[in-house]
Amino acid sequence: MKKTTLTCAALLLSATAYAADPGVSDTEIKIGDVNIMTGPAAFVGKGFSIGTKIAAGEINAAGGINGRKIVVITEDDGYVPARSFQALTKLLEVDKIFALNGTSGTANVLAMMPLITENNLPTIVTQAPAALVYTPVRPSVFTFGASYEDAFYAQLKYIHDNLAAKDAVYGIIRQDDDFGKEVEAGFDRAVKEFGVTAPVRVRFKKGTNNFSAEMAQMKQAGVTVLANGGIFAGAANILSEARKLDMNIQSAGVWSEGIPASAALSAPAGYNFLVGDYVSLVGPANDKFKLLAKKYASDEEIAAISRYTYVSYIGLKTMAEAMRLCGKDLTRACTIEKLKGLKNFDTGGLSAPVSFDNPKQLSGTSVGVYQYDAKERTFKALADFKQY
Amino acid sequence: MDFLLLLIATGLVSGAAYGLIAMGFALIYKSTGVVNFAQGELVMLTAYIAFSLSNTLHLSFLPLVLVTVPISMAVGLVLERVFIRPMLGEPIFAIVMATVGLAVILRGFIIIVWGSQPFNFDAGISSTVVMIGTIPFYPAQLYLIAALALVVLAMWLFLRFSRYGIAMRAVAANETAAMLVGVSVSRIHALAWMLSAGIAAIAGLLFAANFKLAPDIWFQGLRSFPAVILGGMDSVVGAAAGGLIIGVIENLSQGYVGEGMREIAGFIVIILVLMVRPFGLYGSRDIERV
Repeated sequence: MKKTTLTCAALLLSATAYAADPGVSDTEIKIGDVNIMTGPAAFVGKGFSIGTKIAAGEINAAGGINGRKIVVITEDDGYVPARSFQALTKLLEVDKIFALNGTSGTANVLAMMPLITENNLPTIVTQAPAALVYTPVRPSVFTFGASYEDAFYAQLKYIHDNLAAKDAVYGIIRQDDDFGKEVEAGFDRAVKEFGVTAPVRVRFKKGTNNFSAEMAQMKQAGVTVLANGGIFAGAANILSEARKLDMNIQSAGVWSEGIPASAALSAPAGYNFLVGDYVSLVGPANDKFKLLAKKYASDEEIAAISRYTYVSYIGLKTMAEAMRLCGKDLTRACTIEKLKGLKNFDTGGLSAPVSFDNPKQLSGTSVGVYQYDAKERTFKALADFKQY
Repeated sequence: MDFLLLLIATGLVSGAAYGLIAMGFALIYKSTGVVNFAQGELVMLTAYIAFSLSNTLHLSFLPLVLVTVPISMAVGLVLERVFIRPMLGEPIFAIVMATVGLAVILRGFIIIVWGSQPFNFDAGISSTVVMIGTIPFYPAQLYLIAALALVVLAMWLFLRFSRYGIAMRAVAANETAAMLVGVSVSRIHALAWMLSAGIAAIAGLLFAANFKLAPDIWFQGLRSFPAVILGGMDSVVGAAAGGLIIGVIENLSQGYVGEGMREIAGFIVIILVLMVRPFGLYGSRDIERV
């Protein structure tokens, strides 16, 4: 009788232990993904979801994580922070996810942060690696990616060292928000370090289409090196105005311009602009990835592969590695512990190796520099991943 | 001097876009008393329709306009029949709220059909830079200014000399009196939506040709609103003039003052003008007899 009671108690305790860490069963692990699947920025989320699908397909085809298959559950937030919070609430309370890989934009991940910390949810932030995400450090949050400051500094350094004339005049056009401030921080660092002339700095509101006055100011100031802080159509319209004004410029851009569809918008302007990124845009690693993608993604999805596909792939593969290291007894605490100790995890050349064994739990801060060929509509690598 | 001319010239280009969109607002307001908050979305929808037609039929600019405008007018008619006609007789505020709902529906519909990715859309217009004096223009920019001039002329002729135009003015002046003399008010309302959608098509097509085709074009509707207020809510031609004025003021303030002045300059002008002429530069003084 006593033995039976003890056995029952042990079983109950064991069940309680499982209940503390939802999302894990004998056969599967549920990973959440909150992303931008609708609205004007949906192509970012769709690119991201392709990477998640490929990573999950590859992991599951290799037998899963210690025998458990990965199941990814995506919730749309439409890029609205309040909806991100609702989406994660649903993922936690209804779907019972174990960990989170997709986290949408900066404001969105910040909106979700109370839920992430309260649930000690292992989370890898790859889409919006802003300083606000890792400052202060939250124990269960790991950030992968460089800052816009470093990305712009890297490009401007390359231009200064290799492309620009000695008497080059630098100018910046950037959004009037936190993202724009980061872009300008990289510009400031470059201008100060290189000791170059930078007579004009222009800010604009998000959603601006017409940059005629702004670019007239750049032309008036004789700008020859431009830090183009526009994104998508905005970046293309800035270069289009520059072309109309017959400006001979070297242009540095935001990494979102590395998305083929976005770069194609700028192609008619004819500038071979630069992009700094913490994931590889071209090269053997990307070719290998596309071969892998053929196994798990449709032709339409393969055509939509972008840098966001690579970041989500890296995020889920990194999370999977930490879970694998936990063995059969998978818990959130163990996953976080293993992520904290992760050092030089190889991403197959898609980025610099991932290491979270630092106080900020931050990795992927090395930046590569790429150049767009407006005629061929392809990117080429100019500088390897490097810490700036 | 070149800098000033450049700012004025490019201000006229963006002002022409504002003016065309504002004319659509004014036309519906003049005939129905309703501020159509879906005007920006109508511009966006018709731009996407033009994009699909261009990709399917491979038309040059003029044939593309000739095909797009009637289709857009038909779309305007359908929207009026489905969303606005059932609200006839309801308080104006309720109808305005219906246009807000329509705006949200159109935004979602566009992304469902065409996706969220921005596109290059040349609308069959060359992208070779043209010099007028020392000022460079893209041909699409010149087309935009020319289109505003032509649409203003056409609308002036229509409202002044055509039977339907005069009926439209009659409805605007006094709806009950117009009904008493046999004017079909519901038909005039439908016509206003059709014409507004036709103008929106020209605005959308040329806006996209100048500034890319993306699902955020609807925002231009809000940005054009100051032009309607400035020109006069019920003045179709005044709205066009208001657009040009706002466009030039925005560019000059950005060029000479900078630091985000573009965003607020138009609104400062509106406040100043409305203090002196509350009905706008060209709007009718509203006299209420008690």
